[in-house]
Amino acid sequence: MDDVLRVGNPLPATPIKKPTDTEIPLIEFQHVTKEYAHRPAVRDVTFKIYEGEFVCLVGQSGAGKTTLIKLLTKQENPSHGSIFVAGRQLSDLRNREVPAYRRKIGVVFQDFKLLPQKTVWENIAFALEVCGVPKEDVTRRTDKVIDLVNLGRKKKSYPEELSGGERQRVAIARGLVHSPKLLIADEPTGNLDPVNTWEIVELLYRIHQRGTTIILATHNRGVVDRIQKRVILMKGGKIVSDQHGGKYVI
Amino acid sequence: MLAINTGANMSSSWQSLTRIFKLGWNNFWRNRWLTLGATLLMTLTLTMISVSLLMTFLLRDTAANIRSKIDLTIYFRDDAVADAQITDLGNRLKTAANVASVHFINKTEALQIWNRLPINENIKKPVTATNNPLPRSLAIKTTNPDTIPTVVTEVQTADTGHLICSECVSYTQNKDTVNRLVSVTRFVQLGGLGLSLFFGIIAIFNVLNIIKITITARADEIEIMRFVGASNAFVRGPFVVEGIMYGLFATIITTLFLVIVAALASHSLHGSTGALAFFQLINIDLFQYLMNHFWVLVVSQLAIGMLLGIVVSLFSLRRYLRA
Repeated sequence: MDDVLRVGNPLPATPIKKPTDTEIPLIEFQHVTKEYAHRPAVRDVTFKIYEGEFVCLVGQSGAGKTTLIKLLTKQENPSHGSIFVAGRQLSDLRNREVPAYRRKIGVVFQDFKLLPQKTVWENIAFALEVCGVPKEDVTRRTDKVIDLVNLGRKKKSYPEELSGGERQRVAIARGLVHSPKLLIADEPTGNLDPVNTWEIVELLYRIHQRGTTIILATHNRGVVDRIQKRVILMKGGKIVSDQHGGKYVI
Repeated sequence: MLAINTGANMSSSWQSLTRIFKLGWNNFWRNRWLTLGATLLMTLTLTMISVSLLMTFLLRDTAANIRSKIDLTIYFRDDAVADAQITDLGNRLKTAANVASVHFINKTEALQIWNRLPINENIKKPVTATNNPLPRSLAIKTTNPDTIPTVVTEVQTADTGHLICSECVSYTQNKDTVNRLVSVTRFVQLGGLGLSLFFGIIAIFNVLNIIKITITARADEIEIMRFVGASNAFVRGPFVVEGIMYGLFATIITTLFLVIVAALASHSLHGSTGALAFFQLINIDLFQYLMNHFWVLVVSQLAIGMLLGIVVSLFSLRRYLRA
């Protein structure tokens, strides 16, 4: 009941992190364009994100948010321009280096992408197992991250036994289990009701407070306004505004 | 800082390998119906290939068997030649390069052979030791049946015509029949091989399709594995294990099937008058024959089955693993 009452309240403000002159951006897009069959989905996009930031990537459907995320996770390569992550150009990454790169970033999707035949615990542990993490570490890190998302009592449940919010928490836990410096959430609240939406936003906020850089792609105005962080607004594949402490304004 | 490096190390390799096997086995077991379909189609493929292989072996041996029965017997007129002359000719023939053995059959032995023939007793009866019209002969075996005409020519030119008569040479009487039989055997062998190849290719396409279905059914799992940072090798691993399982189980089922069929066929051969009597005729015990080639068969099946399973799995996975 308390959660419902708190829905809509702004989250506690955190000071805006000012990068030093020498600091290398965590993410840097330089005049990036991505075309599909000669039709640009992202056009000449340039921006920098520094470690410790919480960035809301907003825009209507088809604005280019998901393409931008695909470029960042190296599911797609830019048609023009360069993308740097931690100072390294992504196009320089060899194919065999891509899995190691993806372990360094957590990704959360609107449709959760959980394995239905695995329990909550197994879904999260799976992310570590496929990367060759030793058994003891798998257990320790999975338990820790399950506590973080507050799903200890549901760890033996299967995804179909969970609510939408709980499923998304499992997905977030899986995204965090590699202890990434960067967590990308692509419309994580798109399939959720308002109560579950705020739960997820608060969870992302908590994760950010612990030092993780967050990129949240959403078209939920309420979420963006409540977070009061940096807002990058996209329209027709272009960045039309980039404001700190911003609101969702079209 | 988000440093980018490849995190693989040797200590985790073994752990990854055991996880890949565990995942592969779990997938194999969890998707029982799809797995059963793939295994049965693989079994069908292996059965086609095995039967084709066995038929090839069998017909090759049969052809060799038939050809070894082509020998040369030269009959001698009782009034024209003395035993000593025949033995002398036999000794000379023995020295020829392509002659394996020469055996002189005198009138007594000819009678014994006559009495052993599976023909009506009433026909046999008139021929006795005192009334024996059976000719004496030289039974000649050659190292290669194809050289028989050379031996015949040799005999005909070396000896005066009155010693032998060309129409009394058994080879000329039998060679057409034997050659026809060998040709038929070769035709059946080639036809069988072609037919097996045709059905084998169809079966391989079926295996390809069903493995594709099993992989498509798990496209989400592959996508998730890639998102959480599994290497392509790790993603492929469980599918390779499954491919091996298909080959392994299909080999077991095929071998059992063939052994049972061969045992039943061998059992029913005794006293058979049907098509299976052919094997009786050429004196081949199917079960024994299969047992003699058991390991060749099992190893071939395992190699083909596993290779097929692995190659098809990797082929079907390609489009899911593009970076």
